[in-house]
Amino acid sequence: MLELAAYGARKRLKGALALSVGLSAFSAMYAAFFPSLTGNLDLGSYVEALPPAFVEAFGLRAFNTIEGFLATELYQFAWVILLGLYLAYSAASLISGDVESGRMDVLLSLPVSRARLVAEQYLSLVPGILLVNAVVAAVTWVATRVIGYPVGTADLAVVHLLSLPYLFACAAVGLAFGVLADRESVAQRAAMATVFGLFLLESVVTNTDYAWAGAVAPMRYFDPTAILVDGAYDLTGAAILVGATLVLVAASQLHFRRKDVN
Amino acid sequence: MAAIELRDLTKRYGDLVAVDGVSFEVEAGEVFGFLGPNGAGKTTTLRTLLGMQAPTSGGVSVLGYDTTVEDQRLDALADTGFLPSNPQFDEQATGREVLDLHESLKGGSRRADLVDRFEPPLDRPVREYSTGNVQKLGVVQAFMHDPDVVILDEPTSGLDPLLQDRFNEFVREERARGVTVLFSSHVLGEVRRICDRVGVLRGGELVAVEDVETLLDRSGKFVRARVVGDLPPDAFDIPGVSEVTRRSTDGATRVSFTFTGDVDALVDELDRYPLEELDVEEAPLEEVFLDFYGGDEDA
Repeated sequence: MLELAAYGARKRLKGALALSVGLSAFSAMYAAFFPSLTGNLDLGSYVEALPPAFVEAFGLRAFNTIEGFLATELYQFAWVILLGLYLAYSAASLISGDVESGRMDVLLSLPVSRARLVAEQYLSLVPGILLVNAVVAAVTWVATRVIGYPVGTADLAVVHLLSLPYLFACAAVGLAFGVLADRESVAQRAAMATVFGLFLLESVVTNTDYAWAGAVAPMRYFDPTAILVDGAYDLTGAAILVGATLVLVAASQLHFRRKDVN
Repeated sequence: MAAIELRDLTKRYGDLVAVDGVSFEVEAGEVFGFLGPNGAGKTTTLRTLLGMQAPTSGGVSVLGYDTTVEDQRLDALADTGFLPSNPQFDEQATGREVLDLHESLKGGSRRADLVDRFEPPLDRPVREYSTGNVQKLGVVQAFMHDPDVVILDEPTSGLDPLLQDRFNEFVREERARGVTVLFSSHVLGEVRRICDRVGVLRGGELVAVEDVETLLDRSGKFVRARVVGDLPPDAFDIPGVSEVTRRSTDGATRVSFTFTGDVDALVDELDRYPLEELDVEEAPLEEVFLDFYGGDEDA
């Protein structure tokens, strides 16, 4: 078991390392900026002047604390948006890329069920996701201590832990498009557009009468600002994301099992 | 029990009928050639046989397993090798990594022997492979788990003639070991060298299943002659002659035609004229299709 997942994960190792380095640099850069920002700018009144929806979308509450600052700049932006989109994009290539290139014919000639093929391809993304989280968590922990504004260890660990179900869900959206579409580029674009669209939806409807509509957006269930600033851990949200991920992966397996691979 | 069985297999894509009611069996230990011009439906038939797409109607089985049923498909695949036409492997991986993955999933008891025999450059990434090297890697993976049945889609395309010979020799040895081989080709010469029987596919329909000798008897000859002087208008007007061309040059006549009739009659006819040159060779496959397997569709 898991031979295909291990193979896929090894193939992605370089990419995951590059992403870890890039996002660590991002984190270190923001940590380095923070002391001069708080010293020179009245961030509190800046945030008050912004529209409430904008403040909510980017988690700008408490922007003048290191927790609030990192929650917005690093976690809301780099994790929720960038990493979410990247995983949807990568996962969209998993099946569609093999089908479009013709590699799937060789894979389907192996004595491996189609359901297992889909599951293992999906799982091949997991080690990379874990690696990026572990590396950036460590770098952020060190960087905030170097600048003298230490972020709480538990909250930092939790923001990374609870980001995992969110990222898995984004990847599952990508996987589903990769199984539906026959062309890799179509799957990639559709997956990114969907995840970004859901982010916009949740941003726009939050604090309105239509807030219920944002329940379909994975972003609703992972709020880095709440974790880092308020120490509020949304475990129900995490469970919903895990459930949605399982449903999407199972639906992808079911669809691929019946699909004519051309 | 037949090693491979197709029963009235039909595959449609919308209005297009790619495979139309094809039935044949390949016996255990037999080498069966699946012959047809490009676009005849060979690849569709083989891919449906392996469960990559579902038949529109009809049934398929490999080693007695119904390959349209997932569990049975896996049982069949454990003892089946497949080489797709124009096989594709992970471009970033080396040949060795590709074979390692395959070995971990289906076994590789014959891997070392096959690598020695076909010599794909295992330490280089697949993206640097020539077409021939990809094909070598494909042959190794198809046979490495010592399968009982091997299905090969145009296996020698992309191989140079020397390697084609080595491959054909290899298939003959596999047959001696009792392996069942079904392979497609559009090259008659290849089929005649290694097959026991041949199925001819044309426009999605199986137009003939023959012993290879029968097919060769029918395959016809391409005749070219240079005759002194002019030829009478009724020259070579005998049964089995088609596509006659003639051209007069320097007091001689060059004549060429495809011949599928009685060889004695041909010799008698040739004997009527003073020949300067005579060339008789096997007719190209396309001519065979036109002559025997019907229609004036493009072959």
